[in-house]
Amino acid sequence: MSATKNVHDVRIIVFACRWCGLIGADGAGRERTALPASFRVIPVECAGFVEPDLIIRALADGVTGIAVLGCHLGGCRFSDGNHPALKRLELLRTLLDTTGIGGRRLLIGFGTAHESHQFAEMIREFHRELSELPSPGTWLAGTMKRQ
Amino acid sequence: MGMVHVILCRCFGELDSALDLEGIRTRLEGHSDVASVDTAGSLCLPGDAAAVFSRVLERGAKKVLIGCCSPFGRGNVLRDELIRGGLASSDVVSVDLREGCAWIHGKDPAGAVKKAWNLLDMGLASLGRAGRSDNVTVRVQPRALVIGAGASGLSAAATLAGLGFETHLVERTAAPGGLLNLISRTYPTGESGPDKLKGFIGEMERNPLITFHSGTRVESVKGYGGDFKVRVVSSGEAKLIRAGAVIVATGARVLLPRGMMGYGSLKNVITQMEMERRFFTGKVDCTAAVLLQCAGARSPERPYCSTICCPLSLKNAKRVLKEVPGSRAYVLHRDIMTPGSVLEAYYREALRAGVQFIRFDPQKPPDILGEEMFKGVEVDDAVTGIRRKIDADLLVLSTPLIPDPENQKLAEILDLPVDRYGFFEETYPLHPVETRVDGIFICGAARWPVSSDQAIQQGETAAMKAAAFLSHEKIPALLQSPVPGGKAGHARADADFCTGCGNCTAVCPYGACRLQKMNGRSVSRVIKVRCKACGNCISVCPNGAMQIPERSDRAVGEMIRRAFREVC
Repeated sequence: MSATKNVHDVRIIVFACRWCGLIGADGAGRERTALPASFRVIPVECAGFVEPDLIIRALADGVTGIAVLGCHLGGCRFSDGNHPALKRLELLRTLLDTTGIGGRRLLIGFGTAHESHQFAEMIREFHRELSELPSPGTWLAGTMKRQ
Repeated sequence: MGMVHVILCRCFGELDSALDLEGIRTRLEGHSDVASVDTAGSLCLPGDAAAVFSRVLERGAKKVLIGCCSPFGRGNVLRDELIRGGLASSDVVSVDLREGCAWIHGKDPAGAVKKAWNLLDMGLASLGRAGRSDNVTVRVQPRALVIGAGASGLSAAATLAGLGFETHLVERTAAPGGLLNLISRTYPTGESGPDKLKGFIGEMERNPLITFHSGTRVESVKGYGGDFKVRVVSSGEAKLIRAGAVIVATGARVLLPRGMMGYGSLKNVITQMEMERRFFTGKVDCTAAVLLQCAGARSPERPYCSTICCPLSLKNAKRVLKEVPGSRAYVLHRDIMTPGSVLEAYYREALRAGVQFIRFDPQKPPDILGEEMFKGVEVDDAVTGIRRKIDADLLVLSTPLIPDPENQKLAEILDLPVDRYGFFEETYPLHPVETRVDGIFICGAARWPVSSDQAIQQGETAAMKAAAFLSHEKIPALLQSPVPGGKAGHARADADFCTGCGNCTAVCPYGACRLQKMNGRSVSRVIKVRCKACGNCISVCPNGAMQIPERSDRAVGEMIRRAFREVC
């Protein structure tokens, strides 16, 4: 299972807050940075919107990884929406690790609107990391079998 | 046959070449959600956009999906154009096919085409599943209330009245003026404090639009931006003022350095404010004055810089030299803070006038000499490393501005946050006078230590912001937001599912969620005009009772499901 998988099997959902993460993603586009075509951006108002439910549902739907991008801590548009978001998602990451799904499938990133290079770097790195993990079909099937 | 009319932009061939737009178009026509598909050469050209939009609207389109550049390119502009054309804001979605797809996946054409298809599919999912928040409209009371008649409050009131708005100016003391009344000369112009305010106070007395309430305190504030019901009390007598906007200009206090550096125990150890009083009465008699900076500031309990004390000390040191011939003036400092060309020139002037500057290490504060009477200081000069003894007969402590002790109470009344020191906090650094409550603005030293000039400017700024707010006759709650173009929607708590746990009230940055009794149990209710649709309440709700219809679970869940769906 350790063989590097076909890059197109990586499926990333990016929840990007529209004040920072989304503008960063947009900047990467404007600079025409080459990125793997494995991610889909869903704009949200704030990183705090992203409930753990959605992430678990996405994983169950066969998504390999989820990135949640918000403003820098202390620079949240909604005064401190990303603090509770961070706590919540870190907790979820522990849960994913405990259940064997793997906390590495959840990326939490904070950046400002002009940090497009950071966005590009984050996506590339996340893509590379996920392509080394088994595809989600494998772990879903695995859990089924054990039951 | 679906409901959604799709418009694809070729972007002068940019998208065509990378994304096989014709293929996507054919496949979209077969999509179960789609009613029609149009392509345009470039929606940037006003003629092109108008032609396509009118064609689509003539067909009776209710929901439109635009595949074009990013929302920060033209996407939002095109969306707004269609909304102006009569569509609901929840029924137009623009999908970013250029920055988000064509321009970054040039090395992987097949992947790019699939992604473009998926993005459009996700747009269709969101259009199909999203609901619509019900809007409420606030009728704006064309009246402002300014709390505090110091420099910033007076300038705010004068500006608002000058713009033609009825303004109530509430002051807890008997007379207007605030701290500036106690300043004999302000920097850098040298005008006296009361003189500086003369114009504003004259305006206040002359202009019939300004009502001055002296000896009055704000007791309670109810309502929301556009219609606040403010109860003010003056000597036991309560009055109700309905105001559309509230400006908080309560100013700050000067720290009294009790027990610090011999203050209170030694004679001739005074604060800058007492120095000002001596200048007022003309009783300055000293042969050598030591002005000690950062007394009680930039310390563990007050780590901030009060910004005004350095220029203030420069001014007073120069004035001692001028008014008492043959005298000496020393400024002991950690570093002199004089930003900007004007204040930097002010500093050089002080150097030329003969003020001596000695820098000390914060770890080694100067020793104060003398018993009963101040005799001088001994200080380690941080630049030369030499210990110097200075004989002097006056020690002036530059103490910082501190938040007013009543800020906490007023913050509770207005439902505003204060920062960790007790100053009022703005909503976002890019919106310096706006608070988390729409319609309440902060200015002057209530939000941060400022000089008199800055206080006056900030008063004007807050007044202009308030005027922009008040000039609406009605404000729809969906537009009442610091967000350009309005907000995504409002959160809505479903009373059937709400368990009354209060998580949402704890997490809401705007105080929009409130617990209310309903049929004997608590349920959460969202105040629509306060909600900014950030969605924090949604993710903390354990029972899924909170939703923003525009971004409902169903819609986002369906978007995720379709995000990697195979091309159909």
